[in-house]
Amino acid sequence: MTPDSPRPNPHGGAGPSGGAGPSGGAGPASGWADRFADELLRLGVQPPRARRLAEETTQQAAECATAPDALFGPAHLYARHLITELNTAALNPTALNPTAFNPTALNPAVPKAGAGPSGGAIDPGDVRLRLTGVGKRYRRRTIFAGVNLTVRAGEVAAIVGANGCGKSTLLRICASLTRPSSGTVQRTRRVGFVPQDGGTAGWLTADEHFTLFGAAAGVAPRRARSTGEHLAGRLAWRPSRDQLTQHLSGGTRQKLNLVLGELHSPDLLLLDEPYQGFDQGTYLSFWQQILAWRDAGKAVVVVTHLLHDLQHVNQVHDLGATA
Amino acid sequence: MTALVVAALSAREVGRRRVALALMVTLPLWFYLLRRSAEGQSVRMLALGMAWAVSALTLFVVNAARGVDPRLRLTGASTLAVIGGRLLALTAGGIALAAAYWALVVADQRPERPWAAALMMALTAVVAAPLGSLIAALLPRELEGALALLSICAVQMLADPPTLVAHLMPFWSLRELGTYVIDGADAGYLWRALLHAALTWLICAGGTYALFAWRLRLPRYPEP
Repeated sequence: MTPDSPRPNPHGGAGPSGGAGPSGGAGPASGWADRFADELLRLGVQPPRARRLAEETTQQAAECATAPDALFGPAHLYARHLITELNTAALNPTALNPTAFNPTALNPAVPKAGAGPSGGAIDPGDVRLRLTGVGKRYRRRTIFAGVNLTVRAGEVAAIVGANGCGKSTLLRICASLTRPSSGTVQRTRRVGFVPQDGGTAGWLTADEHFTLFGAAAGVAPRRARSTGEHLAGRLAWRPSRDQLTQHLSGGTRQKLNLVLGELHSPDLLLLDEPYQGFDQGTYLSFWQQILAWRDAGKAVVVVTHLLHDLQHVNQVHDLGATA
Repeated sequence: MTALVVAALSAREVGRRRVALALMVTLPLWFYLLRRSAEGQSVRMLALGMAWAVSALTLFVVNAARGVDPRLRLTGASTLAVIGGRLLALTAGGIALAAAYWALVVADQRPERPWAAALMMALTAVVAAPLGSLIAALLPRELEGALALLSICAVQMLADPPTLVAHLMPFWSLRELGTYVIDGADAGYLWRALLHAALTWLICAGGTYALFAWRLRLPRYPEP
């Protein structure tokens, strides 16, 4: 196995295509390999290397007498997964056995952590969000002023503070949904925003939300649904095809919100107390998911008022008491 | 493509609100039945009922999407795709409704110019959808929007046709077309109606776009 040889995807079997029968013949395996190689190319991998990875992946599936989609899951998701793993190793070489993985062997054409599909390489730990002297006033009332915050790739930042101190407003400023009254904001282009509540259409199903948000991001409907169902699986949720969002429990609706925020693979995730209504197991899965995003080189900003959340984060910004 | 997906899903959303949809679809029928004995009045009232139904439906659909639209913009959709897709769905639904009521009018009243009656019905739907979205853009809360639409329809119904107020109403074109369809008036009525409808559509659709482009604008932050 070469240093960046494909490894079976832990999510593969649970993926939406995971139910495909074993060894579907050359046709399905070849189609999967083509889609896999196409996605690698889209992610910035050079063509010879993409072909080689595709061949190795299908070969590995053949050795297991299993169809690639049954072993690795949907091709495009596994391509992203593989790139993420390679980038994680590049960010944190000690995370992998150095004898089994040599970061210098990586092709420089492979985007660094969190690089967008445009393929622009970004150094690990680059700044994803920088607030300098940001303030917000509503008429004569100052909500907050002089907020400085820098969040880098592979970091989780928490925004804490009393009710009404402007945590959600600050997050909306980061997302560019609200304009700051003062200060400057610099942030990466691809951002995912998960509101505290709302943000979904009650008369649509989860699948239709995936289609809608996928279309907004330029993703084909079938692929958006497949990605959405896969991401939902990570939160221990299997969306029902005919259940309307308004009939989902509050916690499940928040899971949908989380999936929608992540659907287009943003480099920066802005989460406004997204765990409301989560049961204990989902709450733990949620934090595991945040740590997985962090390890994959994404920057995460989470608004919270739960002090025990803070053990998971790299930095805490306290907006203080109510202004 | 985004606009088409928005249109398809908006249509699906509306289709699932069966009771509201049934009430909206039957609303013009009551307008028609109450004036059925008077040929000209019944068709004009039917058109006004359709205008009220389609614009109210659009108002509620646009308002219901208020929480989703900013997220769609942030994900990459353009304002034109989001607003245009929704208007496309509701205009298409309105035209389907217009076709059904046109069939009723042709079967029940046998107007002299059935094609003009079809134009009248279709134009009603085409103008009503952007009017509803403009009201939704101006008045984000549903109650205020519904009351504003009620006011417009009431003034439209009660204003004396020759007055300036009647000419300024969004559905004045229906009165003119009604005269052309039912009373056999000259083609001047038809052209004035078309011009008025085109202007109204431009003002309503353009106003909706301008307001939502401003409301859903995303400042371009520089990359760090």
